[in-house]
Amino acid sequence: MSYKRQFYPGESDPAKARRRIMDPKVKLRKLRDVPMEDVVKLMGHRNPGEDYKSIHPPIEEGSEPDCPIRKLVTPIDGAKAGDRIRYIQFTDSVYFAPVSPYQRAWMYLSRHRGIDTGTLSGRQIIEVRERDLEKLAKEYIDNETFDSALTGIRGATVHGHACRLDENGLMFDAWQRYVWDDEKKEVVYVKDQVALPLDTKISVGKPADMADVKKRSTIFRVDGVDMRDDKEVTMYQHRIHLLRTLGGYQPFKFKGE
Amino acid sequence: MAEKEKKFMEAVSKKFTEAPTEVSTSYYKFGGYKQSKSKVAFQDAAMKIAAERGFPMMNEDIGVPLGQRSWMPYQLSHTDIFVEPDDLHCINNPAIQQAWDDIRRTIIVGLDSPHNTIERRLGKEITPETINTYLETVNHTIPGGAVVQEHMAECNPALVYDSYVKVFSGDDEIIDEIDSRFVIDINKLFPEDHAEQLKKAIGSSLMQAVRVPTIVGRVMDGATTSRHAAMQISMAFISAYKLAAGEAAIADFAYAAKHQSITMGTMMPARRARGPNEPGGIPFGYMADIAQSDRAYPDDPGRAALEAVALGAIIYDQIYLGGYMSGGVGFTQYATAAYTDNILEDYVYYAIDQINTKYGGLCKLDPRDAEAVMNLAEDINGYALSSYEKYPAVMETHFGGSQRSTVAAASTGIAGSMATGIADVGVNCWYYSMLEHKERLGRLGFYGFDLQDQCGSANSFAYRSDEGLPMEARGPNYPNYAMNVGHMSGYTGIPKAAHVARGDAFTANPFIRVAFADPALQFDFANITKEIGRGGLREFVPAGERTAVIKG
Repeated sequence: MSYKRQFYPGESDPAKARRRIMDPKVKLRKLRDVPMEDVVKLMGHRNPGEDYKSIHPPIEEGSEPDCPIRKLVTPIDGAKAGDRIRYIQFTDSVYFAPVSPYQRAWMYLSRHRGIDTGTLSGRQIIEVRERDLEKLAKEYIDNETFDSALTGIRGATVHGHACRLDENGLMFDAWQRYVWDDEKKEVVYVKDQVALPLDTKISVGKPADMADVKKRSTIFRVDGVDMRDDKEVTMYQHRIHLLRTLGGYQPFKFKGE
Repeated sequence: MAEKEKKFMEAVSKKFTEAPTEVSTSYYKFGGYKQSKSKVAFQDAAMKIAAERGFPMMNEDIGVPLGQRSWMPYQLSHTDIFVEPDDLHCINNPAIQQAWDDIRRTIIVGLDSPHNTIERRLGKEITPETINTYLETVNHTIPGGAVVQEHMAECNPALVYDSYVKVFSGDDEIIDEIDSRFVIDINKLFPEDHAEQLKKAIGSSLMQAVRVPTIVGRVMDGATTSRHAAMQISMAFISAYKLAAGEAAIADFAYAAKHQSITMGTMMPARRARGPNEPGGIPFGYMADIAQSDRAYPDDPGRAALEAVALGAIIYDQIYLGGYMSGGVGFTQYATAAYTDNILEDYVYYAIDQINTKYGGLCKLDPRDAEAVMNLAEDINGYALSSYEKYPAVMETHFGGSQRSTVAAASTGIAGSMATGIADVGVNCWYYSMLEHKERLGRLGFYGFDLQDQCGSANSFAYRSDEGLPMEARGPNYPNYAMNVGHMSGYTGIPKAAHVARGDAFTANPFIRVAFADPALQFDFANITKEIGRGGLREFVPAGERTAVIKG
């Protein structure tokens, strides 16, 4: 019997949402279409139309050392071209942002090659070669993992994930990189991810209804789905802790489970 | 049954105008940093300094605009003192500095070995009278007085007034013979049962609690404490017992002071680039003994654990990891979460209620019953995490995930300790909290949590060197804790909670326990958050000041 890849236990909505975003066979829903030029501007690593900066010659030029690992791994496009490694960083509100930082890490690692992620309490950085980053950034700004009110694009001064929401339901941002357009009832960015002013406002669309994000969020909360009510998730969390406790530094001596 | 009034309500109600349960608020309209008296004063001072020196200094208008949210005051837990966050920075707070000064400048030196040398080798009699004479002499030499040479520079008493030597012993008969001005009286300072435990543990040894001047530690380093004590103790013996200054036997006094003594900081490996007797070397059990709440408030085990947490936060997280190891100014905001606003207080007292009502009382839970321990941990951690979720004002108060992770894990760890009386169970519950927290919210703390807290279940019962130690003997220097910013507070509370629950008079070291009971110390280790608050309010008077030798 061939192994069938599993992603996450549990039957609750957050558990299902976790399985869904981690499974690379699931195509994530596209909710908006932010032009690539605007994505590039939001990240602020290069101007639209500007050449990618290189940190090494294209691999095809044959300057790579003779290395069996390099022969095994097919390079991603940016690596082939010698692009710099740049980043996008998302901040996810505790108030039912569609995804939270660890699920971002799991999702990225399950779906993409050639990336590096770092996870903190409020934010999740993803670093990758620049031309690959741009494709990836557009995908994750456009799709269901991004909510214009509860997700932020922030390079620095990232806190706000645990602050209450403002009168328009937006997550706090000390730099006010995005503001509420009351006329269009949507969120527009006026600064890039390191808070440099943008020449033109960039719309990231209308926020989702709270009932909708609450239903599809990966976050367990007492005012949504309490993790303790998902018996299978709780069982596995207990099991992980217990086995680590009993196994200690000598798991080979631990018999049983 | 109606929910109990939350202990954090006063603090969060003072921070925000909205109800603590309200998710929605307003931002960006409060006037920036100008809503903070402290920041306005900083700006005024910095502008004046810049004008005087002719080039820029600090400027609150540089960087991210401060004060985009309503500026939050912080309540020192279990006090009615509110201060601004700036007041809790260790550079701004003289009480926090003095707490570390008092720890660093303390060395406990036995008198038994020098007395043996004097009696057996030098043939002189030791009597209560000679001990009293010695103590009067050493209280002249330790601050910086000369006794042997007639043409000597001495320290200005106004600079070193905080320096002294007192003695203690487990033998009441010896203590009764000594001038009470020089005695740390175990019988008077501790509850009766604790006094008996301590006297039994200390035995008939006569011990000196030596306090070298604060300013000595500031000018030199932690290792100086034993050297200063050794030199001045030797001089006092020479003078009090009329000994020959050049005689080889005198070296025994210095040897005893340097090597048959207890400094607060144990030795650290070279890779930490820190000398002896520095904060990274203080085991959690020692720090728990330095915290004295259970001596002054013996019926309040929760307060005892929480005061130990506060002491761990200021010494380990703010001064050691924030200053010694990281540098910069960023750690205050993180570390203070553990001892402000009665949030951890609320969780810990909830835990004590649950232990008493559901788990048979303190130390009644079988530490070998892993399922029961996990159920307790799930109960306490669930309460802590759901409190953040039910009260957005509390969530925003601890707006960093690392703050919430530490505080939730500290309450869960303290609960495990108190329910079983075993500190290692406590630290195992800490790690339970971390795993559950990450799983529940999909977030935890900064990068370091990935390294330290997600593997910690595996080391919580490890005793082999470099893999683990009993929690009482672990410290910031334990390999897996070397980068555990913000965790040290909770780690200090965990062994304290276990031993307080057991009714123990001390956590790791009875000598340290008694030495820090001394009311002559500058910092009151029985009222740690209050002292920090007094520091913030500019009411605390530290030692080590130089005004006596500055004109004007």
